[in-house]
Amino acid sequence: MNTLPEPDEITKHYEMPRDAWEKALTSLLGTYTLYAPVKRWDSIDYELISSENSSKIVYNLPKPVSPLKLFLLPVKENVVLDSDLQKPFVVLGTPACDLWALDLLDQFYLHSDYIDPYYKLRRDKMILVGTDCHTSLAHCHCSSYGLNPFPEKNQDLVISIIDGKVILEINSLKGETFIEKLAAESKLQPSENGFPDDLLKIRQAVKSEMDSRNKRLPNYQETTSVVKNAGEDTWKNHSKTCVACGACATICPTCTCFLLIDRPGFEKVRQMDACQYPGFQRVAGGEDPHKQHFVRFSNRYFCKYVFRPEKFDALACTGCGRCIEACIGKINKNEIFNELTK
Amino acid sequence: MTVSTNIYKPFRARLEKVIEESPLIKTLVLVPETEFSFKTGEFIELTLDGIGEAPFTPSSSPFVKDRIEVTIMKAGYVTGLMHELPVGAVLGVRGPFGRGYPIETFFGKEVLILGGGCGLAPIRSLLYTLIEYKDKLKKVILAYGSKTPRDCIYKPLFSYLNSIDKFEAHRSVDIADENWKETVGVATVMLDKVKVDIPNAVAVVCGPPVMMKFGTFKLLEMGFAPKDIFLSMEKNMSCGLGKCGHCMMGEYFVCKDGPVFTYEEVKNQPHIW
Repeated sequence: MNTLPEPDEITKHYEMPRDAWEKALTSLLGTYTLYAPVKRWDSIDYELISSENSSKIVYNLPKPVSPLKLFLLPVKENVVLDSDLQKPFVVLGTPACDLWALDLLDQFYLHSDYIDPYYKLRRDKMILVGTDCHTSLAHCHCSSYGLNPFPEKNQDLVISIIDGKVILEINSLKGETFIEKLAAESKLQPSENGFPDDLLKIRQAVKSEMDSRNKRLPNYQETTSVVKNAGEDTWKNHSKTCVACGACATICPTCTCFLLIDRPGFEKVRQMDACQYPGFQRVAGGEDPHKQHFVRFSNRYFCKYVFRPEKFDALACTGCGRCIEACIGKINKNEIFNELTK
Repeated sequence: MTVSTNIYKPFRARLEKVIEESPLIKTLVLVPETEFSFKTGEFIELTLDGIGEAPFTPSSSPFVKDRIEVTIMKAGYVTGLMHELPVGAVLGVRGPFGRGYPIETFFGKEVLILGGGCGLAPIRSLLYTLIEYKDKLKKVILAYGSKTPRDCIYKPLFSYLNSIDKFEAHRSVDIADENWKETVGVATVMLDKVKVDIPNAVAVVCGPPVMMKFGTFKLLEMGFAPKDIFLSMEKNMSCGLGKCGHCMMGEYFVCKDGPVFTYEEVKNQPHIW
């Protein structure tokens, strides 16, 4: 895994004007497929970038509606036929919460017992350009779980734009190769300046903003005991408005569950699934340990804060807050946790 | 463990023979087209082409390499169609998956096996394995329960077991008919009749959830330690790889961490039965 050096240890970072960056970036579109966030109504989401829309890329905003996992685990994919993915692809503008989520996904899908060849292919072909969050949204709470609102792990490069100036840090060999190709297309030179003070100030400010907004929220370990100690009534009460739509699982950067669907010719299609759906655990004959709605509802909380931490050395919630935004039943897990720790 | 490079791609197996075990249960004898071996208690995913896939623990001996026997209860759509398959049909197989019975830890001990309904399928494979190792075991007792005499499967197995030194087999039915001479009552009632040296014994339970639950409680009451009770858990094992999540039982993926667990390992997990 790539780790970000302390700012004072960074040997290489690059600075360039935004227009030069955009020009260089579009010149690489033949070599790489590029996805980056653009504005859509009042939110942002990844789009396939061409020379037409490259100027619409937004930087340093939290956080694309789609979690990063959708690039590695498409909603539906044939997992028996050979993949047609050839070109390396760049995902630009990924926030820290999604980058941290890769720890769990990698442990899941690249575990040496059974390596998922489709996940691995995409993971190998993916170049990740992480981004600092220069603001935070109402439900962002990565800092409550000990994370920082800037890329620290799993990214190949980090990008920030300050005062019309692009600042790029390299964090891996893949990132190095990408920059070499970019430099060949532009007059990109490593910066002589030290790590920009302004960026450090922003990092601190965003973290403080999030900390103060979430100051009542229990940290990860505390949440584990909150969930363990919550009684049946808690789950019954809070699941009243849940319609088991599965949106929370779909947009969760760490939810990994899927369904295998059979197709003729012994083909299999992997379709992302959700433990909130009725019948998720039902066996032939009808036995279903999660038959009751509140049990499925509580399973999500137990999975994130109790079961996964027991088995994996990775956070199963990185505090992105998407499940709160996506819930049509207006269920806010953080309000539940705040209430339970009162 | 033989797993093809693509973990999702089944290999093919031809249906050689269908054995009718009871009105609801059939055994499919499969000839794998690829070299295949498994350890007793490990399971496979059997694919009906284009229709669906379901997990089964082979009921045959792991020492037989050129055939896999799978005993299937008609319990839903896929298993219903599997019952209709003609000889010669081609099925898909993935696996073997999971953690089977730790046979070596049974050596030097008595083995008490409680089975119910179609739960005798994995147990038959286990029994074939124990027969191979009988010199290393003190005693093997099978207590098998089914609903009615018609639902008893593997009928020739019982007289065979009773003819083997160190082995004894008992049967019970919930509802008897006029010809039934053996025990009447739920499977656990047989446990009152058997003689077991509990401190030097292990117990194995496989059957429908309600039998697993009350069977386990009965064994605990008899004095078995939770670490000496081996449960073959039935969950919705779909991918077999510890990835799809359908068989999650607390922190465990039954398909990868199980399906055989000691009661000690699972007693604190939620919704195990």
